[in-house]
Amino acid sequence: MWAIIKKEVKSYFLSPIGYVFVGLFLLLASLIFYTDILVSGSTMFSYMFSSLTIVLMMIVPLLTMRMFSEERKEGTEQLLLTAPRSITSIVLGKFFAGLIVLIIAVAFTAIHYIILMTLGEPNLKTSLVTVFGFILLGAAFISFGMFASSITENQIIAAIISVAFYLITWLGAPYLSSSIEAIGLVNMFNRFLNGQIAIQEIVAFVSYTIVFILLTIMVMQRRKSVK
Amino acid sequence: MITVRNVSKKYGKHKAVDNISFKIEKGEIIGLLGPNGAGKSTTMNMITGFIEPTSGEIEINGYNISKKPKKAKKYIGYMPEGVPLYKDMTVKEFVTYMAELKGVKKDKIKESVDKTLQDTWLQNVKKVLIRNLSKGYKQRVSMAGALVGDPEILILDEPTVGLDPKQIIEIRNLIKKLGKDHTLIISSHILSEISQICEKVIIINKGQLVAIDTPEHLEGMVNVENAVNIVVEDKENKMAKLKLKDVKQITLIKENEDSTKEYKIIPEPNKEIRNTLFADLAKENITIFELKKTEASLEDAFIDIIKKNEQEKEKQKQEEIEQEKKKKEEKEKLKAEKKTKKENKNKNTKKKKGGNK
Repeated sequence: MWAIIKKEVKSYFLSPIGYVFVGLFLLLASLIFYTDILVSGSTMFSYMFSSLTIVLMMIVPLLTMRMFSEERKEGTEQLLLTAPRSITSIVLGKFFAGLIVLIIAVAFTAIHYIILMTLGEPNLKTSLVTVFGFILLGAAFISFGMFASSITENQIIAAIISVAFYLITWLGAPYLSSSIEAIGLVNMFNRFLNGQIAIQEIVAFVSYTIVFILLTIMVMQRRKSVK
Repeated sequence: MITVRNVSKKYGKHKAVDNISFKIEKGEIIGLLGPNGAGKSTTMNMITGFIEPTSGEIEINGYNISKKPKKAKKYIGYMPEGVPLYKDMTVKEFVTYMAELKGVKKDKIKESVDKTLQDTWLQNVKKVLIRNLSKGYKQRVSMAGALVGDPEILILDEPTVGLDPKQIIEIRNLIKKLGKDHTLIISSHILSEISQICEKVIIINKGQLVAIDTPEHLEGMVNVENAVNIVVEDKENKMAKLKLKDVKQITLIKENEDSTKEYKIIPEPNKEIRNTLFADLAKENITIFELKKTEASLEDAFIDIIKKNEQEKEKQKQEEIEQEKKKKEEKEKLKAEKKTKKENKNKNTKKKKGGNK
């Protein structure tokens, strides 16, 4: 798995995608930091992440859309799948590589925290809980994006499926029945903003992530006999 | 080393590979031949574990590729068709990644990569992005990817396709070198290549195994008429009228610009005529410019075998169709008989009724 994580993270930054992802994230984070926090004179670092969830929805597909679809299109999956590696380790390798790039991007928001520290006294605990929740949310997004990438060899379609899914579970969930409301990922994240570590939400995020990782593994295994 | 047992691969109703079985021993160099779409790549993809057979079993060194894929795949280095590569990597990065994927131990990776780069003559381009390499180099990089980690079995799917003649010779030499200490399976369209490199040939047509033998044997299987081609200067045009000992037929093939003519001479069966031909023609004042015995090549064998196979299949089909026709006819006959019987019965009963009146 390590070999795959290492290679995937590297290839994010060999191509422009890694830089575009981190750059876009930081640019928009800074903009939101300015309009939501600095202008209103607040020290609530976590407020920034409320709006950043929408940014996340739009840019996570950058990380995930190529994961399997490009390998399939270029034929390099033949190299990957004939190597003595289990499909599970390949899928997990790709997932964690995406997660690492996300964590790198989020880590850069420490700059904003430091700026706030010079201006007032932001709450460290609340901020950390928010960042933790944000990364869990990102993991769930990446997991679904990876799944979308495994079912098509067209990157654009993979990206569109992902964004559509994120939007539906965000905007659609509250209007639907209460059982479907429970799948609204972004709405769940809002609890973290107040610095609450809610077990229910953590379990939901992790389950989401695991379900789509498993589905990806199943798709890849199934393709072996259908291909 | 490799055992393929009753393996089939179906795509819907289409059978890409149909019940193939063969065995490959350690150290053998095998050529996989067949026309386009015969199922060569599918067979290779199944042996390497990239796709799962619909039915049948494949064992690599005793490990079933479907049940113990990790162990089985360790023995195989695979160069897929169309040389897929990670184009954003440099040559060295790619080969190193392949070594890591194959689970080469950390302290041995550097050594293994360096050796592979040397073996494939890639040392001078190891820092170049694969994207910027020419096709011949890419092919070699792909081969390096298969070779790194020193797997016992190498499977190369059309390693020389699309290369220029010089590159073909380079790759061929590399394959010959590899053949000394590996078990090799090569698929190719170029038959001269196969007959030069391989010890054994497997011919596949329409998903079925047609022949498995040494190239020499396969060449011997073709009925050659043992003809002699000669180019002569024949000013008086005697050739066509000549009657020579042991010669069955003389036919003109073409007239060259330098007023020489090419003939094909077919001798009586099992007669060697080249000796007498030389002397006899000299007597007749005909000068021989060239004299060559025609021999069957692997190409002839290949075409012959495929043709025969297809003819047999067609025969089978026709027989089946005829049998079905016969069955239908018989059925119709039976029906007709039944009808006439019924009618007869009816007539009889009517007659009886009439008689009662």
